[in-house]
Amino acid sequence: MEKMTMTLNINGKPQEVMIYPNDTLLDVLRDELDLTGSKESCGEGICGSCTVHMDGKPVRACLTLALEAWGTEIKTVEGLAHGDDLSDLQQSFIDHGAVQCGFCTPGMLMSADAFLHETPAPDEEAIRKALAGNICRCTGYAKIVTAVAHAAKPSDDCPDCKK
Amino acid sequence: MRLPAFDYMEPENLEEALDLLAAHGEDAKVLAGGTDLLVRMKKGVTKPKILISLKALDDLSYVKNEEGCIRIGARTPLAHVIASNKVQQKARALHQACEKIGAVTIQHHRGTLGGNILQDNRCHHYNQSDFHRSGRQACHKDGGQICYSRDDSDRCHSTCQSDGAAALMALGAKLIIARKGDEREVNLDAFYTADGIKPHAIEPHELLREILVPVGCGHSAYERLSYRSAIDYPIVCAGVWLRTDEYKKDTIDAARIVVGAMGRAPLLLSQDAAFLKGKQLDDTAAFEKAAEKSMKSAATFAVHNVGSTVEYRCEMVSLMVLRALEQAAQAAEDAAR
Repeated sequence: MEKMTMTLNINGKPQEVMIYPNDTLLDVLRDELDLTGSKESCGEGICGSCTVHMDGKPVRACLTLALEAWGTEIKTVEGLAHGDDLSDLQQSFIDHGAVQCGFCTPGMLMSADAFLHETPAPDEEAIRKALAGNICRCTGYAKIVTAVAHAAKPSDDCPDCKK
Repeated sequence: MRLPAFDYMEPENLEEALDLLAAHGEDAKVLAGGTDLLVRMKKGVTKPKILISLKALDDLSYVKNEEGCIRIGARTPLAHVIASNKVQQKARALHQACEKIGAVTIQHHRGTLGGNILQDNRCHHYNQSDFHRSGRQACHKDGGQICYSRDDSDRCHSTCQSDGAAALMALGAKLIIARKGDEREVNLDAFYTADGIKPHAIEPHELLREILVPVGCGHSAYERLSYRSAIDYPIVCAGVWLRTDEYKKDTIDAARIVVGAMGRAPLLLSQDAAFLKGKQLDDTAAFEKAAEKSMKSAATFAVHNVGSTVEYRCEMVSLMVLRALEQAAQAAEDAAR
């Protein structure tokens, strides 16, 4: 098994990395590129905390080989903000108190971001279904769902939306 | 969790993939979505020396509508199967099953239909880390002589928990399996061997190329029970298919009932389904009777190895079968109107 050099397109920038075939995309993001936003929790595709976008679709970085990511556009949670300006979804998470310990947050954001691109005006049931693959062990689901819903459509009745 | 070391090969077309499988089949595993294989590798229950990736084989990713059947490439992501109108209309059980696999936004984009059909049998005692398994004697599936889920058993009782398998078997699907210079067609019910250690009738040098779903007539439905709606594997599932008489549209002419996650293979309960022949679509008592019969048939095979108690899962078999039959009958009634 030899280490090889390849270029991955991460958050719009080409990044040259040295990898082994058995490196997962998550290993490379965290250990090679210091993009530690994507978290490793279960390591077997259950919890969703390592979710990143691959060509716009949410995938588990812990179950995707880095080699399989070659030639695709990868977006991590670090790529959601524009410079210092957080995306509407990120800001909504903060405003609605959707972040508790924060470990699931990057995965939740990436799943929700991909979902909102496909479904710009979702109802609550659709949001819950879309986030069903992400686990929050603080059990703060209600605020997360509200944050996603109000990121798509701010509510006049919600005091958190006016922050 | 690190993956063990392996060599990675990325064939550019089907011929090249079959050549590689012919040369390295015994030592190699085929990597499609990886949502099942990579987990097993991380746990050390599968240790291939080589991974042959299907990444470049885009020609194995399609859903084609043909006269009387739908052809689905083995590497088609579940999300594409779910999005297909033809699958939704004509092979509803498959649509419902694919929707329930894993999690909506995640496994569906990486996970493939072929991978779901070929997912290895599972058992709580076997699907554990190397460390966990090293603390006791190896079970049958691990190369030993013990079964932890059924005492004194001389064979492995791992359970087939594929959603797609039960739905596709109810639909009477066939698989096209390719090997270097040749290919063969096999009925799905013959493909599952009911051997817990080697659950699929596919050789190491062969590659699942296509799934052929007949959709000429009949209505299907799929129901499943799992702890959570997403991520978890089913602990009981049922796929059913009903065909009504050509002239008497309210009478069942043929039926198939498949119960999954209860045995070493999906259970095609032909005798219990035959009971429905000649019954009316609104004959709830007949559906209840068929569901009861299915429960009794399936109960023989169940062991306590996929969560929950055997008693609960057995009772739920009749409920899943009944709900699926009612759905399929409703679809048949709607179509007759």
